[in-house]
Amino acid sequence: MAEWLNSVGLRVRALFRRGRLNQDLHDEIAHHLAMREAKLRASGTAQPAAHARRQFGSVATIQEELRESWTFAPHLGNVLQDLRYAARMLRHSAGFAVAVVLTLGLGIGANTAFFSIVNAALIRPLGYADADRLVAVHESFPESNLEHLPFSPLDFEDLQRYQEAFDGVAAYRSIPFELSGHGLSEQVQGARVSASLLPTLGVAPIVGRTFSTKEDRPGVHVAILSWGLWHRRYGADPAIVGRRITLDRRAYTVVGVMPRTFVFPRRGPRVNHEPADVWVPLAFTDRERVERAMNLTNSVVARLKSGVSLEMAQAQLDVLSGQIAANYPSVVLNAGFRPHLSAVPLREDISGRFRFPLLMLLAAGGFVLLVACANVANLMLSRAAGRNRELAVRAALGAGRGRLMQLLLCEALLLSFAGGALGVTLAYWSVETIPAVLASSVPGLQDVTLDLRVLAFTAMTCVATGLIVGLLPLATLDRRSPGDALRADTSRTTGARQRPRMQQAFVISAVGLAFVLLVGAGLLLRSFSALIATNPGFRAAQVLTVSMTLPQTTYNTPASVRTFHRALLGGLGSVPGVRYSSLASDFPLGAVGNLRFEPEGSALASRVTPMTNLTSVQGPYFETFGMTLRHGRFFTEEEHLEDRRVVIVNEKLATRFWPGENPIGKRLKWGSVDSVSPWLTVVGVVGDVADGPIGVEPDVHAYQPFRQAPDFFLDRRVKTAVLVQGNARALSARIREEIARLDPQLAIESIAPMEQRLRDAFAPRRFSTGLVMVCAAVALLLAWIGLYGLLAFSITERRREIAVRLALGAEPRAVAGMVVAQAARLVAVGLIVGFVASLGVTRLVTSLLYETNHYDAMTFVIVPLVVALAALLACAVPAWRAASVEPLKALRAE
Amino acid sequence: MEERPRKADLLQGTLELLILRTVATGEKHGYEIAEWIHVASADALSVEEGALYPALHRLELRGLLTAQWDVSENNRRAKYYRLTASGRKRLSDTTESWRRTSAAINRVLDAT
Repeated sequence: MAEWLNSVGLRVRALFRRGRLNQDLHDEIAHHLAMREAKLRASGTAQPAAHARRQFGSVATIQEELRESWTFAPHLGNVLQDLRYAARMLRHSAGFAVAVVLTLGLGIGANTAFFSIVNAALIRPLGYADADRLVAVHESFPESNLEHLPFSPLDFEDLQRYQEAFDGVAAYRSIPFELSGHGLSEQVQGARVSASLLPTLGVAPIVGRTFSTKEDRPGVHVAILSWGLWHRRYGADPAIVGRRITLDRRAYTVVGVMPRTFVFPRRGPRVNHEPADVWVPLAFTDRERVERAMNLTNSVVARLKSGVSLEMAQAQLDVLSGQIAANYPSVVLNAGFRPHLSAVPLREDISGRFRFPLLMLLAAGGFVLLVACANVANLMLSRAAGRNRELAVRAALGAGRGRLMQLLLCEALLLSFAGGALGVTLAYWSVETIPAVLASSVPGLQDVTLDLRVLAFTAMTCVATGLIVGLLPLATLDRRSPGDALRADTSRTTGARQRPRMQQAFVISAVGLAFVLLVGAGLLLRSFSALIATNPGFRAAQVLTVSMTLPQTTYNTPASVRTFHRALLGGLGSVPGVRYSSLASDFPLGAVGNLRFEPEGSALASRVTPMTNLTSVQGPYFETFGMTLRHGRFFTEEEHLEDRRVVIVNEKLATRFWPGENPIGKRLKWGSVDSVSPWLTVVGVVGDVADGPIGVEPDVHAYQPFRQAPDFFLDRRVKTAVLVQGNARALSARIREEIARLDPQLAIESIAPMEQRLRDAFAPRRFSTGLVMVCAAVALLLAWIGLYGLLAFSITERRREIAVRLALGAEPRAVAGMVVAQAARLVAVGLIVGFVASLGVTRLVTSLLYETNHYDAMTFVIVPLVVALAALLACAVPAWRAASVEPLKALRAE
Repeated sequence: MEERPRKADLLQGTLELLILRTVATGEKHGYEIAEWIHVASADALSVEEGALYPALHRLELRGLLTAQWDVSENNRRAKYYRLTASGRKRLSDTTESWRRTSAAINRVLDAT
């Protein structure tokens, strides 16, 4: 150990003091020569200097040798030599090299691309100071299985006031803004954030300042811009601070600009946050400060005090939860349901739930690379066998075993790095397209890049690959003395006896690995088809959807909002080709907040905290989406216009809270039992529709006429759904015109056919299923090539034996059968290995499956059939070639 | 890619033993080491000077020797080698095993 440290130390010194060491060496040798010369002169030798030099030997050689001892790779010279030699050899066998580089390039490319996704989503820093100390805080009702809800304003204020574990606590919520002035008005993503947000995140504006606590109250109109918006819309005006911009038709004073790298909020799994371009103070109004159990719309982020662990913070939150429950009994329901505050590391909160699927993807890529390695190792092995003679000659010329290994490893590494270069190129192309598909669903994927970390990963993969494909064949390298190896027939050496077993092992592992991947892909495919076969409960065809947000200033009274609603519905109704037009606070598939409610006379209400999704609607919403009426009726025209207190619930809500009873005529109200909200009478029950992320069981859902919805809930978000006759897309221009006629300044967020929204909802799953299927297909193809290669190779090797058999009267059919039997044995073992392995692996992926058992019989029947069929195809040609060996010709050739 | 013939390889272990032993008598520079071996072996062994320096540096790299620059008897800058603690230990280990081996070889040669 000490010796090793010493030598490393000297080498490190040598790195920085090369010139000095060279000088020392020169001096040392010169001193020696001078001493020698002096002695020779004293003894009367003629030309003592020349003699001394001759006696010393080649100074240059010694210097060279010594310099090598200073470097980290003492054999660097040799390595370069070997690399050059390997490159030359590979040029001579270009076909081999191309096959290997393509195979490894595919494997390494897939892994690089997958790792770049994992890097962007799970590893890359969030861009906040000391982000490890940041946590998301949620409110839960554990007894009701209500986890990780956002905060109500009152609860947030209590948390901020009474906590001791955090250096900063901040709340925020996403909000769209209409940005006007300077040309077209557009809708931009914004966020209302508490003044404590930027200090808590530890990020300061690059221009200007952050919000002061004094500004965090209603009526103050200040804003901070993103770097992107500052550039895009204001030409990076250096005098932006103090300038006024128009948000929702009201002047806001810009006080700061955030750095380019600042992204906040990040898309989260629970609340539909979008990265904001403009931040304004959170400034709760009194109207928003309603009951604790309502207006759960504020996400909370906090920074742990240094020295405070997550557990300690959680313990403090537990105490605080108890205090809130005790101080505000109205939050706690009859049977003692307590709100519970919990802290989750921010990173995990943002992307934790993607960790597993992404790691599965990485694993799939790893499997493909392993199959590729098995194939390449096999190729290298066949090649090494052919080269036994060459290697023997080298050994005879004095190359040690280590030197031979170095040569072969150089070759393997050269190949794997060439494959890596190809892989990085492939990955570079693919990361351009990946974010477009996945960005909307996985946080952090807006910018997947091949950064240094990804490249380091790829380099490591290349080294590992090179070692695997280089070292495995080495195991069969001829161990006998060079002389014996030279004398022996090259094709029948000891290596040759060991080689087939090893090659068979490679083929078996390739088949097994491909089998596991195919099973995984099969299960995902079955899940996916089950998913798209699921009836979402609504009609998507020919429904056109429009989203917009009314600016608060112009539409600041319920009356003005209602006027716009009526005008919009009337206007759309007059457009030719429109059959139904309706308004809603959200469409199916859109994430909708949970609202606390009290179902009258429900036995269940005493055992769970009742929460429901709420959509406020106007016009023939249910008809537009073709939803099914189970009981009762839809809303009447009058109910949309008047303050009649009615509600429609979905089947799930009705059967959960009033099981076995007629839900029509039952009553419910928003908030807890003693809230001041009026009672609403259930007039209808509609079928469940997919209301959240696709593949998630529809939740309980209530629908209420727009004008009766709770104030804070109503907001100004307007979504319009239009059922049209004919081409939905073609009508969108006409609809834009109609809206512009009502309010020329209004920015439309999006117009999209509902079918597209449905497709988008499937996109992430389609994408990941597709990726795994491609992985499986590539693995199968590689395994197939490996099997084919092995069979073809063994036929060539056994030509003589086959010829003898045929000459002795064996049927060609029997010979072909022999080949098939050989393949069948390998494939059978591969299948068994793969089968056993997949039983273990599939248990792990259960959570990714939708209505598919992880021992899905169909998959486990079809996959072996596919593999067997592929194997049959692989042995067809070799078997035919074996059967058509002409005995005399083959024997003569020997 | 033929290997450069390294005559020193044959003697490497022996040469290193001789160097360690020589330096054990006191710190010396390269030339002195070569001369000392020559003299001490009664002119029987003459160290190949070319092989000497790589061996010295190897031993230095392995921490068996340390070196220091000083002024030699002829007023030139010379590098003086000295035994380290681990060098001393290595010397005694190797000496013992060398003695055992050579005694064994002698016994074989003397056997009738």
